[in-house]
Amino acid sequence: MNRPLLEITGLSKHFGGLRAVDGVSFDIQRGEILGLLGPNGAGKTVCFNLVSGVYKPTAGQISFDGQRTDGLSPHVIAGLGIGRTFQIVKPFAHLTVLENVLAARGIARYRSLPNIWSSWKTPAERREALRLLERVGLADLAERRAGLLPLGNLRRLEIARALAVGRTLLLLDESFSGLRHEEISQLEALIRAIRADGLTVLLIEHNMRVAMGLCDRLIVLDHGRKLTEGRPAEVRANEAVIEAYLGRKGSAHAA
Amino acid sequence: MSGYLITLGTIIAINGIVACGLNVIVGFAGQISLGHAAFFGIGAYTAALLATQAGLSFWAALPLVIAVSALIGLLLGIPSLRVREDFLAITTIGINFIVEAIFNNFEFFGGALGIGGIPRVELFDLKLRGTEFLVLCLFFLVVVMVVCWWLTRCWAGLACFALREEEAAAASVGISPVRFKLLAFVIGTGMAGLGGALYAHFMRFISASDFAFPLSVSLLSMVVVGGIGTLWGPILGAFIIGVLPEVFRPLIDYRILFYTMLLLLMIRFQPGGLLGENSAARRVLAKMLPEGKP
Amino acid sequence: MQLFLEQLLNGLATGSIYALVSLGLALVYGIMRILHVAHAAVFTIGAYVGLLFFDLTGSLFLAVLGSMAVCALVGVSIERFVYFPLLKYPPFVPLIASIAILLSVEELCRLIAGPQILTFNAKLPFPEFHMAGVTVTSTITAVYCITAAVLLLLWFITTKTELGLAMRAAAQDIAVADAMGINSHLIVSITFVIGSAIAAVAGILVGIYFNQVYPTMGAIPAYKTLALIVVGGLGSVPGAVVASLLLGMAETLLIGYANIPLPRDALAFIAMIGVLMWRSQGLLGSR
Repeated sequence: MNRPLLEITGLSKHFGGLRAVDGVSFDIQRGEILGLLGPNGAGKTVCFNLVSGVYKPTAGQISFDGQRTDGLSPHVIAGLGIGRTFQIVKPFAHLTVLENVLAARGIARYRSLPNIWSSWKTPAERREALRLLERVGLADLAERRAGLLPLGNLRRLEIARALAVGRTLLLLDESFSGLRHEEISQLEALIRAIRADGLTVLLIEHNMRVAMGLCDRLIVLDHGRKLTEGRPAEVRANEAVIEAYLGRKGSAHAA
Repeated sequence: MSGYLITLGTIIAINGIVACGLNVIVGFAGQISLGHAAFFGIGAYTAALLATQAGLSFWAALPLVIAVSALIGLLLGIPSLRVREDFLAITTIGINFIVEAIFNNFEFFGGALGIGGIPRVELFDLKLRGTEFLVLCLFFLVVVMVVCWWLTRCWAGLACFALREEEAAAASVGISPVRFKLLAFVIGTGMAGLGGALYAHFMRFISASDFAFPLSVSLLSMVVVGGIGTLWGPILGAFIIGVLPEVFRPLIDYRILFYTMLLLLMIRFQPGGLLGENSAARRVLAKMLPEGKP
Repeated sequence: MQLFLEQLLNGLATGSIYALVSLGLALVYGIMRILHVAHAAVFTIGAYVGLLFFDLTGSLFLAVLGSMAVCALVGVSIERFVYFPLLKYPPFVPLIASIAILLSVEELCRLIAGPQILTFNAKLPFPEFHMAGVTVTSTITAVYCITAAVLLLLWFITTKTELGLAMRAAAQDIAVADAMGINSHLIVSITFVIGSAIAAVAGILVGIYFNQVYPTMGAIPAYKTLALIVVGGLGSVPGAVVASLLLGMAETLLIGYANIPLPRDALAFIAMIGVLMWRSQGLLGSR
């Protein structure tokens, strides 16, 4: 029961000579909010892509709930209950906001040939999709074409889609990036609510204040390797971390 | 209605069926196919062979024709998906050329002489010809359109749309790109096969050159001109592309030039198609209607 | 042995011609990611204009120059007026436009010059050879020399000049090239100029080699060269050349020797699909 939800051991991803991720190991415990930090190019998004199946690892293992998942295709991993957002938002632009979420809700059906022929235009499905939109505050934009939305709303749409898919684990890739002040507070509250519902969250974040305030634990990567892990207070004071972000001069970094 | 108009209408209806199939592949699932005529031909030849060699009636052969076209579509679709998007266009062109060459060069398919003596379609001891056959084609066109309409409402179609919009995001919500691209391909080629069977029993004589690359271009043009991904687009496109050469017929020598130039202008200035969003036609209609979208 | 040598030389000549045509296609694809089927239209125009100038002036040199100029203009016009505005649409939109251009040009040639096959009786100022009992005609020598010259010139431009550097940068990543201060649209247009000029030369060469100029002479090269640039690795000019030479020789030898029941044109595509199954990025392409 105390087995970690996600176990990453010795994970490496090499692109030719470039070691984007090099022997990284960490665990995610159920119900925690874990932050993945690091300067640009540290390998954070590559880690995400390895966990969500976009890349196959060059070496190492990933286990989700005791089951090996490295090497599985992204749609299979999604089927295991892992939802994700993308750093560069990828809405289904010509579909409406509601249809975007509905597409994600189809996850229960896409696997079986008989199930894909039933209609998605039912009141029950619409209700469920609207419920998800309400959680992220997009319910009144349900009929708007997704491609017309501003960035802040698109990030929320990504989260709504990820929620439809993620029964257990949510991977949020820089979901706070480009948001205004109020939007950041709303999103922080939403993530805490998601955790209260029993989900586990792994997030990549550049915004230090958010990361420190929201996460239970932090993993810091640099040049593809794990620099340190621990609680926010420990990590914040860690010399190596400060050096990695700011260089040897190390002045105070305001978020 | 004059015999000429009936013939024109029949060809347009058959093209409409095949174009709907192409629209599923290109418009719904976002995959490029420049070899669709090959599957039209596979359907036609299968129907022709079953009718002339195996003595099957059109109705008995039809499920087989659709199954064969869909199956070959599946088989050819699998390697097609291995290649990058840009390659896919050329791969499908290649499929068209190769299939045409096979029909043209092997005795089993009648070689360069093709297959003749294909009987008419019989319904309750009545040989369908002229207007009756046109009605039959229209019936199948309606069937095909209903299937397309249902696709837009079911999870399979939604998966294809998502795939078309953003493949990575679609995968992240559980949509297997390979599986659904193949599904679209199979449905599209099956519809093309149906059109082929109708064509074979209409022309009663087919040869490889009927299914060459220029027809694939025409079919794609129908889908694009009408409006890619829309429900009525392929029909409108089939109508326009079918009627245009006839409209320009008085220009005799210049008609093909006018037709290709018009195609160029349409594509250049209305790439979304006549029924596509933001098309001039839609905007004019929107101004004419009091409110709401067409 | 003599027959084999003859076939080999013919095949190499055919391959060289394919290489000249597919060069322009590879250049354009490399920089714009567009399948420029209309390149074959430029090729056809090159042959007709070349023939016209030759009939008017009697000078092959002037004919080549004039044809190159006209084709460069045509090529750039296609790029500026058709492809550039369609860049933001899915790739099959410019592809259909390109095919429409090819068909329109075929029709225009038919209407203006007539549907009959015209002859191009020019003597190419290249020597004839005799070796191992085989006669290498002046035309074949010309094909080899001109192809080699064009390749050399292209290699020089792309590797030794600033223009070439800009072209390679734009082909790699056009957004970055823009950011670096390269006028990428100008580079794209220059690429079309170069590619179209080469197509003009190819058109004239083919016209003389087969002594035939007719409206649909571009149709087969149009699609075959598409297969060739895929086999070579999309965007790879050396790849396109290698693929072209191989195909030229394979076609001639297979038709001459073995009795394959499929026509020459399908062979290119069969080879293409075969290569793609083995290496999905083509012979010399990069992932």
